[in-house]
Amino acid sequence: MKTRRRMNVATYVALFPAFIVVVFAYLGTMLWTVQISFTESKLLPTFAFAGTRQYERLFATSRWSISLENMVIFGIGLIAVCLVLGFLLAAALDQKIRFENTFRTIFLYPYAMSFIVTGLAWQWILNPTLGLQQYVRNLGWTDFQFDWIIRNDRAIYVVIIAGVWQASGLIMALMLSGLRGIDQELWKAAKIDGIPTWRVYVNIIIPMLRPTIITSVVLLSLAVVRVYDLVLALTGGGPGISTDVPAKFILDYLFGRANIGLATAASSILLVIVLVIITPWLYYEYFRPKRERR
Amino acid sequence: MATATMTAGSTAPEPSGPRPKRLTADRVGLYVFLVIAAAFFLLPMYVMIVTSLKPMSEIRLGNIFSLPEAWTIEPWLQAWNSACTGLNCGGIKVGFWNSIRILVPSVIISIFVGALTGYALSLWRARGSNLLFAVLLLGAFLPYQVFIYPLVRIYSSVGIYGTMAGIVVTHTIFGLPLMTLLFRNYYASLPIELFKAARVDGGGFWAIFFRLMLPMSTPIIIVAVILQVTGIWNDFLFGVVFAGRENLPMTVQLNNIVNSTQGEKLYNVNMAATILTALVPLVVYFVSGRWFVRGIAAGAVKG
Amino acid sequence: MKQMTKALFGAAAMVALMAGPALAQEPLKLEVFHWWTSGGEAAAVQEFAKEFNAAGGQWVDTAIGGSGSTARPIGINRIIGGDPPGAMQFNTGTQIDELAAQGLLRNLDDVAAKEGWKEALPPAFYEAIVRDGHVMAAPVNNHGQNWLWYNKALLEKNGIAEPTTWDEFFAAADKLKAAGVIPVAVGGQPWQLNLMFNSILLGEGGKDLYMKVYKDLDPAAVTSPEFKKVAETFGKLRDYSDPGNANRDWNVATGMVISGKAGFQFMGDWAKGEFVLANQVAGKDFGCILGPGEKNFVMGGDVFIFPKLKDEQGTKAQDLLATVFMSKDAQVKFNAKKGSVPVRLDVDNSKLDACAQIGVEVLKDPAKQIPATDILASQDIVQSLQDVVGEYWATPTMTADEFVGKWNDTVAQAK
Repeated sequence: MKTRRRMNVATYVALFPAFIVVVFAYLGTMLWTVQISFTESKLLPTFAFAGTRQYERLFATSRWSISLENMVIFGIGLIAVCLVLGFLLAAALDQKIRFENTFRTIFLYPYAMSFIVTGLAWQWILNPTLGLQQYVRNLGWTDFQFDWIIRNDRAIYVVIIAGVWQASGLIMALMLSGLRGIDQELWKAAKIDGIPTWRVYVNIIIPMLRPTIITSVVLLSLAVVRVYDLVLALTGGGPGISTDVPAKFILDYLFGRANIGLATAASSILLVIVLVIITPWLYYEYFRPKRERR
Repeated sequence: MATATMTAGSTAPEPSGPRPKRLTADRVGLYVFLVIAAAFFLLPMYVMIVTSLKPMSEIRLGNIFSLPEAWTIEPWLQAWNSACTGLNCGGIKVGFWNSIRILVPSVIISIFVGALTGYALSLWRARGSNLLFAVLLLGAFLPYQVFIYPLVRIYSSVGIYGTMAGIVVTHTIFGLPLMTLLFRNYYASLPIELFKAARVDGGGFWAIFFRLMLPMSTPIIIVAVILQVTGIWNDFLFGVVFAGRENLPMTVQLNNIVNSTQGEKLYNVNMAATILTALVPLVVYFVSGRWFVRGIAAGAVKG
Repeated sequence: MKQMTKALFGAAAMVALMAGPALAQEPLKLEVFHWWTSGGEAAAVQEFAKEFNAAGGQWVDTAIGGSGSTARPIGINRIIGGDPPGAMQFNTGTQIDELAAQGLLRNLDDVAAKEGWKEALPPAFYEAIVRDGHVMAAPVNNHGQNWLWYNKALLEKNGIAEPTTWDEFFAAADKLKAAGVIPVAVGGQPWQLNLMFNSILLGEGGKDLYMKVYKDLDPAAVTSPEFKKVAETFGKLRDYSDPGNANRDWNVATGMVISGKAGFQFMGDWAKGEFVLANQVAGKDFGCILGPGEKNFVMGGDVFIFPKLKDEQGTKAQDLLATVFMSKDAQVKFNAKKGSVPVRLDVDNSKLDACAQIGVEVLKDPAKQIPATDILASQDIVQSLQDVVGEYWATPTMTADEFVGKWNDTVAQAK
């Protein structure tokens, strides 16, 4: 049954900081963004109304549509691979293995490093004349080919590899903290019933990790929508503009190209896309009349 | 389903996977998997470390995997002590204490506000709280850089632009969506009976938060600390815009060493500087291991 | 040296007298905001700081590295947020338009008139700092953007003379290729590719075409056969570079020339810094060509703007700094270290290196002083066109006609 939770002054006091932040920082910025996107603003924000001109240009720019497409490819790839790898790593670490602390730190360290320079290391490794391809060829396999980073149609997958390298450790940490909460008794019971280990994981453990998985997906989605450093350091958006992403597009126009109008128009579109995607989820997760808590 | 996560945790001070059987094929496979994964994760680090130990003349040859022929630690000393970051040639150490001074209050305050908001949203009722949460999450998807223009104006009208308070507030603002989400999901997965019992005992909003919920939050606080320490320590943009000239964090020095369009580039120094800058979060990761092992703290049923 | 300092003191005193009765007992403190952070750049900035401090100022350094697109927004926000730096770096050109139009900058008419900036500067540079008839910025350097660098030993070994025409260049490149050397070290980042493209546009297409394309943004010039030829020559260079050029830093490309892996590189004169770092000497170990083809000097560079300040001391310090920036002595010292050439045409250039000497020689002819794209068009247009050039380079299947079409579409949108 549903507990009657009293409306409480303390609740409002506690939520006051968040309220201020939401109203002034988030809502304020969102409204400002949308407003500026309908102006002629270049280097400095101005309020000279420009109608939908920025949006017309935005949708006529092939770079923008390419970057949206890349965001989708990158997003699906990154989220899928990180969840699977993160879970496998966590499950492996959860088997009472030796050197757990060392392994965990190894999987997690990429998250701590500024990607501007680690990205350069990746760029070298993936460079066909400098990195892995050449190395393997020198070992004797002269046909070995791994030059995705210079191919227009493949380079975005290389960005996924580097993204997985950077983010899957964090997902591993989240999953691990979830796994550590699961009762030993459960394993004993499963053992007595003779259920194979993998089935316990698939049928019991993973469903129990649902809140962890949701948090992971939100974290990864944020990384996807905001991905910038990764692309900048690894491919610079290239070859050509083939690995461009929305955040890079927005930043280029916001800062380098001094066209705030176009940049805010792109941000507004991005917001609408996010809104369309997360609204059903938000509703499902938090807004619908709550069922009884199990 | 969610409840099970918690009640289960009561007696799991150790890793909870199935019991290990001595060196079976499974165990060998397990280690092989971990070692291969570790190799993938370590490859870029290897390239960075060997590069950082080579003189530039060797780096120009482009053999990125080879060990240095003439080993040198000069780049490391230079990165820490003497690399130029403008007229100041003091390496990255210049901003170290500034970074710490920004980090500590920012991490504490942002996690506290996030935990409090998550707690209020998940276990108490307030009008419009769902809307609040939705706007917060949505806002988290805007590129940070878009916020700069409006925030600069707000801050200068309030008088905290270019101050330590300004930067701490900024980190709190941008930490809020994720922190709230983490704690909200976490508290929502706690058994509701705990909360009800505390209410029956006459616990109020603050008492339940401080005496029951916070002590039970260790694992999620660890995750929150990892997230916030990493994010705040590595932040460059907010630090440089909002912290003011006196408080510039270490990443500004790192950026100045590493990022230069027309200047010559010392890749060995860049690599060393990057690794040095990452040391603080790395230490936090390593140390946090203890609490990972403890898992969902023993206090779950204390209430 | 001593006399120079004295002269500067004199100038400072006069500035102080002009600005008001207060005597400069205390040093005139001024925060200078720039993005020169690497060792070589910092050594150059130090020269300005020394001169400024010697003249009675106190240089307070704020350096934010990265391309200007990292530092600029930070500085601009400080200006808007009411905490402006005393002086701030911009690239010479259209970047300062709006700040000037909004009345956020001080005009430097008095200093400029007194120091004779108009007479001393190349006309295109003077125009680039004037808005509505007022001088709004102090230029500090002149970076040649259309240099072709080469490894001297490598060319000699293969019996190649310095190419003066594009035909000779490609003949040389063929020889290098046959010898198993990468002919051209390319950094496949859009801005680098664009510099290379502009070199060809000037060298092969000529000055008039360059000006029509960038200054007049004339679509007809872009559809002309001459422009198409330029595009084809540019595309041809793909066969003379290696497949690893994608997103390569220019420093790595220069490293390839230094180590003899590659023969040539198209890059601005800042590439000299890399050669110097490897203990190479201009004219001896590495050579430099403006061209091939028509010899022009593409002038880019940096200026400092001076935001309006509330305190009088700061304003005086600004006048002093503007004077120092443009003083002959500081110009020579700064630019010798920066790798650029002095913005003033009336200074003693004997201390500059062999390559800079070539540049100074070419600059004597006003017809060869070509403004960089930053001066001719907005950042929006210039950088959007870089996207087009980058895409064309990375997509060998794209025809020159498609490229021309995209170019014109992009200009039409960004105009």
